[in-house]
Amino acid sequence: MKKRGLGFYLRIYRKILAQDLKSKMSYRADFIISTIGMICTNISGFVGFWVMFRNFPSINGWSYYEMLFLYGFSLVSITPVQCLFDNNWALRGQVYSGDFIKYCFRPINMFFYYQSEVFDIKGLGQLAFGIGTIAYSWNKIGLEFSFIACFKLVVFLITASLVMIALQNAAAATCFWIQNSYYVLELTFRFKDYSKYPITIFNKAFRFIFTFIFPIAFIAYYPSLVILRPDAIPVLTWISPFIGIIFFYISYRIWMYGASKYTGTGS
Amino acid sequence: MSTVIEIKNVSKEFKVLNRREGLKGSIKDLFSRDYKIVKAVDDISMTIDQGEIVGYLGPNGAGKSTTIKMMTGVLEPSSGEIIVNGRVPYKNRTLNAAEIGVVFGQRSQLWWALPLIESFKLLKDIYGISDADYKNMMDFYQSQVDIEPILHKPVRQMSLGQRTLSDILAAFLHNPRIVFLDEPTIGLDVSMKSKIRTLIHALNKEKNTTVILTTHDMGDVDALCRRIVIIDKGKMLYDNDMEHLKNFFGSYRTLKVRVKGDLKAEAEVIGKELSEFQVTADDEWISILVDEDKRKVIDVLGQLQQARQIRDMQLEEISTEDVIKKIYEEGVQ
Repeated sequence: MKKRGLGFYLRIYRKILAQDLKSKMSYRADFIISTIGMICTNISGFVGFWVMFRNFPSINGWSYYEMLFLYGFSLVSITPVQCLFDNNWALRGQVYSGDFIKYCFRPINMFFYYQSEVFDIKGLGQLAFGIGTIAYSWNKIGLEFSFIACFKLVVFLITASLVMIALQNAAAATCFWIQNSYYVLELTFRFKDYSKYPITIFNKAFRFIFTFIFPIAFIAYYPSLVILRPDAIPVLTWISPFIGIIFFYISYRIWMYGASKYTGTGS
Repeated sequence: MSTVIEIKNVSKEFKVLNRREGLKGSIKDLFSRDYKIVKAVDDISMTIDQGEIVGYLGPNGAGKSTTIKMMTGVLEPSSGEIIVNGRVPYKNRTLNAAEIGVVFGQRSQLWWALPLIESFKLLKDIYGISDADYKNMMDFYQSQVDIEPILHKPVRQMSLGQRTLSDILAAFLHNPRIVFLDEPTIGLDVSMKSKIRTLIHALNKEKNTTVILTTHDMGDVDALCRRIVIIDKGKMLYDNDMEHLKNFFGSYRTLKVRVKGDLKAEAEVIGKELSEFQVTADDEWISILVDEDKRKVIDVLGQLQQARQIRDMQLEEISTEDVIKKIYEEGVQ
């Protein structure tokens, strides 16, 4: 058998994706309702944000548009986890019922096979919303528009999204060891809401936790500083891309280790 | 013939917490280190050649699934050695997976939302099946079963029978050397069962695929298997061909008679007359399990006829089901 490289996996993924989209589109009502639901969720999040800022002109030195930028940044960087890794939510059920065993029988990477099964198209709307928010606040803040800035933004967005993916992978993988892992996953998912705020508004203890223990500050705050505060970029911002990659790799190993220990149920 | 599976003195142990009853017990269990070792598979050895269809039987919880999981590389044996296609499956799960096919009766492995043909195309890419081999296989499928109606149907919308059929077709698609079928006919109607048996038989003949078949349906065993392996409580009870199995319990036949009067009372009398055989009665028949090594059936019938009038009679060969039941209940003497 030939060695399976990145090209092989991308080709397979593209094909699964195309088929999956085709079958999803065929359920039109489902598609439309979930799209509307997604838009409502985003709008209500945005309205809450707007109401808060009508009462406070700035938070801890962060202006309305800067906060908006951060908000958009976090929306975009949590999109990949929602689109590409949504099947993590079903992992616990599959492991519990024994259906997970089917992933053990194919000659491809288990993690890939598992995650490739579901593509959540709703996330794309969130992506558009996030990009719009970033562009709008970028313009309002009066940031300079250059190729370098864009490039930086994209790189930092991608690596930031890896942090969120890693957190979710690791949280989902706990189901290989514990029964009630749903709460772990739920907790992780809720924590991501704090990523929309500059970490400086929290007290020291939480700053430490959100940076080093539960690193949600790397989802938006640290990476966005590279655009928002180009004059005073902290070291943590520069290492944030590496944090994303390292975290993702660790979470992948945890996930795979759990899967390799999987023994299934009787049949 | 070449060997495809070799199992040598394989055991698999699980560590299980000794659980206590009630809420109080559960709380104690939280801190308990009181484990016991359960041997799911206990010192099993066998060799399976290319092209064999082996019926792997045993009551629920006998260790069948555990053995299959070890052969497919999902579980690592606690001790002993398993070689499948020249490799240790646990250490080469991905490589091993390329040369085997697996079907679990109630769990579809296909992409739920996709039409079958798209699943096949994905499998073609995943297993790297050449265009010619793929076409060849599809043509063979066409000649065996009417796959046209299910080919463009999403798996989710299929009936259980169609889904099982699809799963079996998918498992053979890359022409693996070994296919593991775990209860492939469970819950299917008679016609679908027979269709699936014919298909498995044809695939085995045509492609010389080794098939390991786990089932509780003796119809599957009668239709497909030349060799059977029986395990219970993790231990191997029997490993030989089918004919040998039937002789194994002597040449038993069941003589069923219907006589005048109350059958239950008559059965008791007959039981005393023929104390060497097992006599039972139900609403319709008195059944006598005759061991023909001891006495001929005709002889027994003669004796019965001397004392009473026989209104009706039937002679039944002992079925595979009866033999297997006897082994499960009594073991092998």
